[in-house]
Amino acid sequence: MSILEIKNLKVGPKNGNILDAVSFSLEKGDSLAVIGPNGAGKTTLFRAILGAVPYSGEIIKDKNVRIGYVPQKVDLERDLPITVGEFLSLREHAAEAQNWKGDHSYLGALKAVGLGKEFLNTKIGELSSGELQRSLIAWAVVGHPDLLMFDEPTASVDIAGQETVYELLHKLQDEHGLTLMLISHDLSVVYKYANNVLCLNKAQTCFGQPSEVLNSKELEKLYGGGGKLYHHMH
Amino acid sequence: METNFLYTLFAGGAIAAAGGMIGSFALLRRMALVGDALSHVALPGIALGIIFNFNPFLGAFAFLALGTLIIWAVEHRTKLPVETLVGVVFTLALAVGALLSTEEELLEVLFGDISKVGGLDVFIAVSVSLLIMALLLLFYKKFALTLMSPDLSLSVGYKPHLLELLFLTIFALGIAAGIKFTGVLLIGSIIIIPAATARNIAWSMKSYIWLSSVLGVSWAALGIFAAKALGLAPGPLFVIVAGFLFFISVLFRRN
Repeated sequence: MSILEIKNLKVGPKNGNILDAVSFSLEKGDSLAVIGPNGAGKTTLFRAILGAVPYSGEIIKDKNVRIGYVPQKVDLERDLPITVGEFLSLREHAAEAQNWKGDHSYLGALKAVGLGKEFLNTKIGELSSGELQRSLIAWAVVGHPDLLMFDEPTASVDIAGQETVYELLHKLQDEHGLTLMLISHDLSVVYKYANNVLCLNKAQTCFGQPSEVLNSKELEKLYGGGGKLYHHMH
Repeated sequence: METNFLYTLFAGGAIAAAGGMIGSFALLRRMALVGDALSHVALPGIALGIIFNFNPFLGAFAFLALGTLIIWAVEHRTKLPVETLVGVVFTLALAVGALLSTEEELLEVLFGDISKVGGLDVFIAVSVSLLIMALLLLFYKKFALTLMSPDLSLSVGYKPHLLELLFLTIFALGIAAGIKFTGVLLIGSIIIIPAATARNIAWSMKSYIWLSSVLGVSWAALGIFAAKALGLAPGPLFVIVAGFLFFISVLFRRN
């Protein structure tokens, strides 16, 4: 049974000028990388799945699927007067309000992303960029989501010597059997961490295993000719 | 102390407490100016109340509820920028209100006169303020998340549109309750200034919300006592005290 199935999704005032004819499905445990140039509708796809934008077509989510959404850091105002602990408690409260089963204490989530308890009383405005990103991920994994949606193309920037955010997501995926959707600009990330890739340029130009669908012809179609295409095999 | 002064103190304190708390939530979304403009829509309602002799609170609330619905619907159903619509609809309301009121009434409606309140006004102000604070505290975590990020709110299965409508209705209720005391032009200050000051000095969300409320009450009391001592109107004195202290708080701004 698919955890998420999307059929002929269209978004936009003229029925498809932001996203057009997107169809794919995700099985439990999949990790899907969504790639495409700026303005290709990657974030819009995520927001449509959340129900934040009107669309036509079908988005079928597995009943009771719990979503963990990690927005781009810039989507959250930095000077909000809220501590990391209070921020995490907002999702803990939601988990209780929605009667999610299991332990949804946020302390486990904080530990899972490698942040110590001393961060609980830190205001989010006082966090470094990497710490904020980890806090957002911790927020999203409170209550053990089934589907983690990660919208941060610049995630590879992290404090030297620590695991990258992708390694962290990979670890969370292994430990919790998460299904992962991530938006990335970095093709090396796609090859290393994703078992499926979706190419978007308003319309869907490819979907499948990275090694099969990502050839130079496909990438040229996606990013246009002459663009620098890079990928490192690991 | 004379009854009227006590009335003023009670009503002013209650409204400032509720207004500060509303403001702390509103500023999570930078909604301050929308709220300020929203207050103008109360004007025709108050004017109709005066003309047809019913409690202006009801008229104000009816018009505010309508204004709220318009903002909400437009924000969610069309691509029109809310600020544009707010600018058009609410100055329109102000113009209609101005035509409906006599010059003397207009001055009172614009700047309020808390010294003219009766027992019923105090009762309405205090009970509506208590209701507002109870609702805000009851839905504290849902409102906070929804106002900070509607997308995160959606992701946990909340309905941000409905929570926003509920919040705007509470906002409108607060304006309607306070408008007789501060007037259409100054009600915004009760909502914005304490919360903006609290935001500069708060160390957490909890402290921010309570500080907004407590600062509102203490400045209202200060304004009302000062007004009595100096024989001036309390509304403008509140704003002057609050505005001055806001600028001091900027010096202590964290981050």
